[in-house]
Amino acid sequence: MSKNGPVALVYHTLFVIFMLAPILVVCFVAFTPEGYLSFPTDRWSLRWFYAIGRYPEFISAFWRSLWLGALSSAIAVAFSVPAALAIGRHRFRGRDAMTALFMSPLMIPHVVLGIAFLRFFTELGLGGTFVGLVLAHIVVVLPFALRLTLASAVGLDRSIEHAAISLGASDRTVLRRITLPLVLPGLISGSALAFINSFDEVTMTVFIAAPGTETLPVRMFLYIQDNIDPLVTSVSAVVIAVTVLALIALDRAYGLERLLVGRSADGR
Amino acid sequence: MSFLSLEGLSKRFGTHTAVDGLTLSVEKGEFVSLLGPSGCGKTTTLQMIAGFVEPSGGAIRLEGRDLLAVKPAKRGLGIVFQSYALFPHMTVVENVAFGLEMQGVAAAERTRRVGETLELVGLGAFTGRYPRQMSGGQQQRVALARALVIRPQILLLDEPLSNLDAKLREEMQIELRQIQRTVGTTTILVTHDQAEAMALSDRVVVMNHGRAEQIGPPHEAYERPATPFVANFLGRTNLVNGTTVRPEKIWFATSGLAGKVRTRIFQGNHWLYQVETAGGLVTVIRQNTGEAMPGEGEAVHLAWAAT
Repeated sequence: MSKNGPVALVYHTLFVIFMLAPILVVCFVAFTPEGYLSFPTDRWSLRWFYAIGRYPEFISAFWRSLWLGALSSAIAVAFSVPAALAIGRHRFRGRDAMTALFMSPLMIPHVVLGIAFLRFFTELGLGGTFVGLVLAHIVVVLPFALRLTLASAVGLDRSIEHAAISLGASDRTVLRRITLPLVLPGLISGSALAFINSFDEVTMTVFIAAPGTETLPVRMFLYIQDNIDPLVTSVSAVVIAVTVLALIALDRAYGLERLLVGRSADGR
Repeated sequence: MSFLSLEGLSKRFGTHTAVDGLTLSVEKGEFVSLLGPSGCGKTTTLQMIAGFVEPSGGAIRLEGRDLLAVKPAKRGLGIVFQSYALFPHMTVVENVAFGLEMQGVAAAERTRRVGETLELVGLGAFTGRYPRQMSGGQQQRVALARALVIRPQILLLDEPLSNLDAKLREEMQIELRQIQRTVGTTTILVTHDQAEAMALSDRVVVMNHGRAEQIGPPHEAYERPATPFVANFLGRTNLVNGTTVRPEKIWFATSGLAGKVRTRIFQGNHWLYQVETAGGLVTVIRQNTGEAMPGEGEAVHLAWAAT
């Protein structure tokens, strides 16, 4: 590995500061005893953390966001596995069109999706329901799930499956014992990325969520429109803490590099 | 009746003919190599026997039965792939046991046969490892064990040694030959390496443009090549005064074709000469016996036995 020169080092340092500063500021502000956003502060208090307890809608929104992320990413991955195996390993009519269709949510602004889904769900009687949220989030996170699953499927050596067939394995056994385990790393990475995108989504969700089905980002967004107190900073600090703990746990259990780069278990 | 027979086997991809009416009979226990340059149809032929490619025409029979009517999973053939194609998420034992598991062999019997086969390929001590923890040569042996353990009717080898370095390749050739003799499995090897084909096979099938140019024992194909292509593919040749002569069959004499040594290269066990003659440039290979040999620029006479 080559060493960085002084200019590169300064650039990297500034870049990292630029990335981390807003997050750190939010965490500092969360500990203020004041009733407004104050930074810097020389006095510390857990006041705004205790305050979260007085707003049960934040806590229920947090759980709703978790469920929404888990459900929509799981369903998106379940769809993307057969799609990725077909697109990644076969040449057929409409293959490019199919890929473009699954990837199209990336191209459409979320504001547009939000308005479209609002109209659509109202017609269907799904307006403001959790089911509606799940359906909309599946559409938005599908490209992320598919991209990483596809990367695994394309890299799969067909002769491994041929070897299994020659040893007497049926198509179903090949899928269960060979193909699925080999695309599993892409599947896990795809789920993680899909979950993060669902948990983070606010632009579209703000249109289709109703009181009672608000996700955490939507609740926070609506709260800061009417209030200027530091409650959202303490909520943010909790979310950041949960994220950091989850990432450490994932790194210990699975390896972050493998998770985010989608590398397979044998390092290929 | 032969054990395995290919009858007028053909495969066309669009307008391209990969295999063009190949007919071949293989006896039980025989080691046959399909030899040829890349694109000659040898791998396509192997894949048609394995069932991964559907022939455009012709038939494949195993002990008289139509093999094309049998699904690839039911053909009972052992295949060793060029990339080894080991299951990366399984240990050596799990890899080798997979085929027996598919056949429904009981666990105790499975363990015994996997152990036996791993001993046969010299990997008795590597049972718990994953493929990624092994060298190329070791992975090669696992692939061979995995194919052999199901006691296949035919063993198909697709360029199995081409990913190994030269020295290891030579060792594996000797070992592969011994293992094949021990188990007696009918074997078809696909290779572009003429030395490998000649070292291992009872018969070679020299292929070019989807056709068999010559089918016969390696020694016969080398000494009496049916076509110029076979002569060139199986080793160096000289075309002198209208006859083809192998470089090692030419010697320096006091009379004969006059020439001048242009280059002389020492290669340990032999000398490699390029001699300029009236009939063109002639390649001569002389064994290194320790005697003094003509140097560069020297005038020489070349002689060879008439065939």
